[in-house]
Amino acid sequence: MRNKVSLYFFDRFKQNEAQIHELRYLFWECTQRCNLNCLHCGSDCVSDSSYKDMPFSDFLSAILPLKNVYKPDSINVIITGGEPLLRKDIGACGMALRENGFRWGIVTNGYAYNETIHKKLLASGMGSVTVSLDGLEENHNWLRGNNNSFSKAVRALELISSSNRLNYDVVTCVNNRNIYQLNELKEFLIRKNIKAWRLFTIAPIGRAQHNGDMVLGTEQLNFLMDFIAKSREEKNIDVKFSCEAYVGAYEKKVRPDYFFCRAGIHIASVLIDGSISACPNINRNYTQGNIYKDDFLKIWNQKFQIMRERSWTKKGICNSCKDYKHCNGGAMHLWDEKQENILYCIHHQITKA
Amino acid sequence: MKRKILRKIFGTLSFTGMLFVFQACYGAPQDMYRDIYIEGVVKSNKTSLPLSGIKVSVSNNQTSILTDEDGKFKIYTLPAPELLLKFEDIDEAQNGMFQSKDTLVKPNNKAVFITIGMDAK
Ligand code: SF4
Ligand code: SF4
Repeated sequence: MRNKVSLYFFDRFKQNEAQIHELRYLFWECTQRCNLNCLHCGSDCVSDSSYKDMPFSDFLSAILPLKNVYKPDSINVIITGGEPLLRKDIGACGMALRENGFRWGIVTNGYAYNETIHKKLLASGMGSVTVSLDGLEENHNWLRGNNNSFSKAVRALELISSSNRLNYDVVTCVNNRNIYQLNELKEFLIRKNIKAWRLFTIAPIGRAQHNGDMVLGTEQLNFLMDFIAKSREEKNIDVKFSCEAYVGAYEKKVRPDYFFCRAGIHIASVLIDGSISACPNINRNYTQGNIYKDDFLKIWNQKFQIMRERSWTKKGICNSCKDYKHCNGGAMHLWDEKQENILYCIHHQITKA
Repeated sequence: MKRKILRKIFGTLSFTGMLFVFQACYGAPQDMYRDIYIEGVVKSNKTSLPLSGIKVSVSNNQTSILTDEDGKFKIYTLPAPELLLKFEDIDEAQNGMFQSKDTLVKPNNKAVFITIGMDAK
């Protein structure tokens, strides 16, 4: 009964938030250059991108007007890529963001993260980090396409977890090669004193659909949900499923809160070419404007309707879904430009059994 | 205004403690902690000229940075009633050699501004 009541009010909360649409989380795709070549890369990054790194001053001048409307320290700028640490000016960018009141963090593969960079970024006001670790050594190196990537990511984690200042987590892309190793990986992370661990999966779309190792089937997805739910009960490490999908009966068991795709509601991005969108993994046809010709704040205030009013998602399998009122058409990143049907539904995949 | 009141009502009744603690799939967690800002300049006691390349560290060396060509430095760090700042000349004889120095600061608000003089070795 309590669950039904809380879910009802959370649904109302989501609708209300879509109306308020307060920006709280802003991605900056500062580079598309990368020092690894991962099988599951979530961005369009390439080791030698045709896009030049965005000059920091372009990004800063686009977002400064936010200070007229928001308390800047209520906004977290998440610097992403590519690999943000390939930019030599990353500390200076962070310092300027913090001096302007914004909070900031990075998403890194950890390969270039060393003690000098760690101290410099901390001094520049960095408050959060996510490091990717996709299994124990063999599997991580396989997925990252580099034999040193595991040891370097672990070195990064040791530095990061030694800081009381940082809010951090490890993120793992769960696939068919590492899924039955998750317990071992969990023990490893606990031994390394890691406090938070987030797991995500790969949808069978794009190049992933042709890679049988990457995409989980029904049995594996259920295993994953049970693993997370059990680990959360044990409380030895804060394990959670990423925001990627509504998961029916597992809601609130695999995350501290219910599913809420906040793209365009609390989340925006400035992408490498200046495009203004929400999460960087959303189809680039959903771009709402460009900082090189539009006013970012105006776009945030006046556009993004497609993400804030989602009744258009009631089509295809979502149309007949009995959980639609809680899920609201799933993740924005799983809709393509045709908008005919969600590309993949984890909830349906889980309940197939 | 009305929507912000509704936010409180719906948030409370949903029994969800962390309504705004979230992160996107490919994003990092949010920074929720407090920090303080320390800014200063390092000079030679003898010549009063600014000293570049001096390593400034706080919080038991958890955070450190080098002074720039004007002897200036800026550091964000965790707040504490007292902070021990260490100043070390790590570039040896490049602009003279200076004795290391420790300074205790008591930040009473979110920013501290200091000037440090260092003695030659
Ligand atoms: S678009 Fe995807 S990654 Fe972004 S908030 Fe929605 S579910 Fe999460
Ligand atoms: S079918 Fe659509 S509405 Fe239903 S759970 Fe899947 S994504 Fe959500």
